[in-house]
Amino acid sequence: MSRGRAMAALPPPRSTWDAINPLRLLGELSETRYWMYLLLLPSALLITAIVLFPTVYGFQLSFTEMRLNRPAGNGAFVGLKHYQRMLADPIFWLSLRNTAVWVTFSILIEFVVGLVAALALNRNLWGGKVLAVLILVPYFLPNVVAGNMWALMLDSRVGVINDILVNIGLLQEYKAWFADPNTAMATAIFVEAWHSFPFFTLLIMAGLKGIPTDLYKAADIDGAGAFAQLRLITLPMLRTIIAAAVILRVIGLVNSPDLLLILTQGGPGRSTQVLSLYAFQNAYSDFNFGYAGALSVVMFVLLMLFAWAYIRLSKVNQD
Amino acid sequence: MTAKFDRRSVLKLGGGMLAASALLPHQAFAQQTAINYWHTFTSQSEAAGLQAVLDLFKAAHPDVAVTPENIPNPEFMAKITAAVVGGSRPNVTMVSSERFEDLLAMGALSDMTDRIAGWERRGDFDDKRFASITKDGKTYGVPGFTFVDWGYYRKDWFDEAGLAAPTTYDEFRDAAIKLTDASKGRFGFGLRGGPGGQNFVVNVIEAFGSPVKKEDGTIGLDRDIVVKALDWYAGLLVKDKAVPPSAANDGFQQVISGFQTGQTAMIWHHTGSYQDIASKLKPGVEFGTFAMPAGPATRVARLAYAYNCITNDENADAAWEWIKFWGEPDAAVAFLEKTGYMPASTVAAQDQRIVGNPMYKAAADTLGFGIPQPSFPGAAGWAQNTVLPALQQILIGQATPDQAADQIIEGLAAAIA
Repeated sequence: MSRGRAMAALPPPRSTWDAINPLRLLGELSETRYWMYLLLLPSALLITAIVLFPTVYGFQLSFTEMRLNRPAGNGAFVGLKHYQRMLADPIFWLSLRNTAVWVTFSILIEFVVGLVAALALNRNLWGGKVLAVLILVPYFLPNVVAGNMWALMLDSRVGVINDILVNIGLLQEYKAWFADPNTAMATAIFVEAWHSFPFFTLLIMAGLKGIPTDLYKAADIDGAGAFAQLRLITLPMLRTIIAAAVILRVIGLVNSPDLLLILTQGGPGRSTQVLSLYAFQNAYSDFNFGYAGALSVVMFVLLMLFAWAYIRLSKVNQD
Repeated sequence: MTAKFDRRSVLKLGGGMLAASALLPHQAFAQQTAINYWHTFTSQSEAAGLQAVLDLFKAAHPDVAVTPENIPNPEFMAKITAAVVGGSRPNVTMVSSERFEDLLAMGALSDMTDRIAGWERRGDFDDKRFASITKDGKTYGVPGFTFVDWGYYRKDWFDEAGLAAPTTYDEFRDAAIKLTDASKGRFGFGLRGGPGGQNFVVNVIEAFGSPVKKEDGTIGLDRDIVVKALDWYAGLLVKDKAVPPSAANDGFQQVISGFQTGQTAMIWHHTGSYQDIASKLKPGVEFGTFAMPAGPATRVARLAYAYNCITNDENADAAWEWIKFWGEPDAAVAFLEKTGYMPASTVAAQDQRIVGNPMYKAAADTLGFGIPQPSFPGAAGWAQNTVLPALQQILIGQATPDQAADQIIEGLAAAIA
């Protein structure tokens, strides 16, 4: 029975009030094909308000003069001025390069450590459940706490890490990890990886539970070793989960400056300056929201391109 | 047993409660006006100081409830900007001198000129105390306390080496070199090259003879002088090796703990860290204080003020009560005794508890010749995002003083454009 016919089947209004009764009209509307759009309307409005509007506003900001401490010229359309400045801005290019290093190495370490941890926990060893909770602890720590904790542990005067490394003979003297441009970024990546590898562990563990054990039994019978099983069964079966985890972590790493803000503030001498931190400084130290908006748009476009390329290359869509 | 209530007994009970409530003291129903106070206090001593003032205020003004909210200094501008733009301003905000111009420009501050003019304790404050919070004849805050720049030195080490507290940059550098013994992990000076260190770089540049801006508002930085100043300051690490190698990342905590733990012989800071240092080292025996030494051209020591400002017109009268309470001598001295921050009120600064303490002599002297920080829209951002990275690049060997000076001057031009 079509909806049109269903509408036609409704009894005619019995009075004038019945003809304008909102409940009756609503009832009639619910029998039409427009009803589904009406049901989607609240969600559409909500998404527009909390996702679309800020995104469009961010784009608009990047074409606008908006310096909060220079109210006189604010709001004026400046076209591509901020993007032109960006092309000639050496700090932007340095930040872009540092962002690539920061994201690439953080993701690599987090993925490898997260995978190893998930595989170990998936073996149902004695105490595995307690270990699983302990492994997740770093991820539950706020960035501010994790950052300050590691800054203290790596301190060149009172840091316990230096103490251990000197006592076991790996270091001759205490090292100022964040004051040396050769070690500042690597140390920050280490802290970031420590903090976020449980994210991979968590998702990969969930994925491992979904892989049929028959596959491993068959592989055993065929003589496949542990590494071959990992390469030919586990990783391909986890492809979708790994793709999702990598994309989510890359977005998090590109967008969030808080750990670097605590550990180095981009120093020493901009050696850990990344795009998100640069945008943050432009917005909240220089109050240049126009330029900060343009930097954010570039980050947004880069992330979209990355996600698109990664999904295509990892062939997730073929699953 | 189940209690049974009929309608009549419920009405009786309600009526009885209403009658009883009318007999309670009126004060129990007095409405407290609630205000929140954003501040950037971080150390234990600062928290204790704030609590001391809050306790005194609560006793004096039971009708006003102050809720303090700590905003960490690095996040302060981000939070207050978001609060102003988002319409969720605090009632009262602690505003340091260097942030005044930016906050005023974004419309965060309320005009307090009339309230201050009619305040019975206005005469306790020198006019200069309000200079850094006044623009176009309007005043936007009341100084709560004073940041007086000074230095701390290890008196026991100086005595052992036969040295006196430095009064000039040359004496300072000599002492730093003489007291450095890398084999013992001891360095002459704890240079703050990390977060918060930017203002000392600006001070050194001015002490070498180059103001940041001229009176007509144009760039005052002289490239040759800036190069000399940077060469001298960064040279304490790069050439003299009289500074810990961690300097490029050393912020407040690192510099203070370096001094407290015997790594460094001298540090520059302000009086607000006095109690923290005195909690680890014996005043007058293990450490002493000195006024900032004179540079080749002039002596630069900053007098900056933490102003309390009305940032929300709602409950402004209660906010004003809280703000002006900081000018009461008892509150100012209680805060000083917990922290070391000097009062902004001239009357409070003459209190015997302050002038009778020889450790505060350097601060009292500095009140005579200290000057405010350069203040213009964009000043704080320029210092933090251009001056500090430029210094760090020299410290880590990525730039020469010439290159750093160019960055600093170009950055200033962009900031004031």
